[in-house]
Amino acid sequence: MNPLKRPASLWLADGLVVAALAAWWLAARGLPEFVLPGPVAVAQRLVALFTDADFLVHTLASTLRVLVSVLVALVIGSGLALVQRAWPALDWVLRGGVQPFLNSFPSIGWAILAAIWFTPSHGSIVFVQVAILIPFCLINVGEGLRQLDREALEMATSFTRRRVRIAWLVGLPLLAPYLLGALRISYGVAWKIALVAELLGSTSGLGYLMLRAQGSADMTTVMAACFAIIALFVAGERLILDPLARRFAAR
Amino acid sequence: MTGGGDAAYGARDATTRDKALAALVVVTIIGVAWSLAAGRVPPYILPSPIEVGKSALAFFTSAKQLGHLGATLAHIGAAIAIAFVGGALLALAAHYAAWSAPAIHRRLSPFLNAFSGIGWTLLAVIWFGVSTATVVFTITVVLLPFALVNLREGLVALDRELLEMGESFGRSRGRNFAAIVVPSLLPFAAATLRIMFGVAWKVALTAELFGGSKGLGYLINLARQDYDTATIFTVILFIIVAVYVADRVVFLPLERYTSRHFGKAAR
Repeated sequence: MNPLKRPASLWLADGLVVAALAAWWLAARGLPEFVLPGPVAVAQRLVALFTDADFLVHTLASTLRVLVSVLVALVIGSGLALVQRAWPALDWVLRGGVQPFLNSFPSIGWAILAAIWFTPSHGSIVFVQVAILIPFCLINVGEGLRQLDREALEMATSFTRRRVRIAWLVGLPLLAPYLLGALRISYGVAWKIALVAELLGSTSGLGYLMLRAQGSADMTTVMAACFAIIALFVAGERLILDPLARRFAAR
Repeated sequence: MTGGGDAAYGARDATTRDKALAALVVVTIIGVAWSLAAGRVPPYILPSPIEVGKSALAFFTSAKQLGHLGATLAHIGAAIAIAFVGGALLALAAHYAAWSAPAIHRRLSPFLNAFSGIGWTLLAVIWFGVSTATVVFTITVVLLPFALVNLREGLVALDRELLEMGESFGRSRGRNFAAIVVPSLLPFAAATLRIMFGVAWKVALTAELFGGSKGLGYLINLARQDYDTATIFTVILFIIVAVYVADRVVFLPLERYTSRHFGKAAR
């Protein structure tokens, strides 16, 4: 391949991003702020979301709830996957019934039901997110358990009879890629549905902030919140998930 | 631990009777638990299975409700069609005009993928008002990266030798495209449609709830305001069944058929 070609197309890619920003800026100049705020105003609000105490509360609330939900979903999903492995008859019920059920359950449905069932709190939002994330964890961890190298486990059994030791030293490292996969997928999904979970019956979080902003025609905040989520998502990938992946790939 | 291994192995061999029994037990437990729980709380919190059944009956015999169902189907169908064509054009552009590939795959696709559906809905409400355009726009934008990523996979997986052979038989690029590229892409197109269909339902509900004036999402929102939880249950259960059945009856067979006849295994 021509070595000059790659950078040129990358330059073009970045050029198009700049062009898109310029087009946005131009379009926004002719339109009122509540229809299309300009990139500068949105960027300022984006910074405010991470620095201004009034906004930061919501940003932090969303972030913490996403992290908690992902961990809880991973624990419950893994638990279900283990149950599935231990009782073959349940495997069919879980894979043929529970999994497709949870998988096709609309996320807004969980949000509405949670709004009816619980008083708005951190717990109710975490409930919605966990309910949405469980199938992703179940599928990934279940697949990992099915792929477990039986010979490695048998070899480990010939060295020790202590099952906890085997699970910790052999099972867990073998499962690590699947656990990471589950973590990565649910983290990505969690940020997308965090907003949905926070729209109904919540008094904190970026979703609440967005809906309130839309109610008062404050499009600047709506767009800034969308970009804040992209930024937080990318930051989590780079700062938490990628190092974890490197750590376990090195083993 | 070997015991656990055997159990997992046995999972594939569980007899039909075991399966039926397990399913029966689980369904019974859920049904009884649901009825008992529903007896203790007011119906607006948890309607009993019978109430949901009645509501479902009313739903499928009411022309108005079926109209909402039709509206949602129309939204989904339109969005899938637009997103599929748009995604295909972008993926082909990136494939055949290499200079555009980074712009499409490294800038546009991750951006669309990361931008939240709710964000698009709220923006679209301002731009297009509460309307069909808002709903279709939102679903389309959310689906577009799915089409783009999947069809890209298909183009990457194209068999170079087959393309070379095609060239040795005829120089017409259009003919080669129609006779080799399109059939090779069919399994990926089927998989794309399957994924898009599953995602579209979920997005449609949210988009209709906040930006629509008809459709099942709009219906759910009305039911929510009236504390008509039975209708909410009906719509959710209907969607679960519809998505599952459509997946099993239409999309999975389509995916299997296309990969059997046009996929790598068929060669």
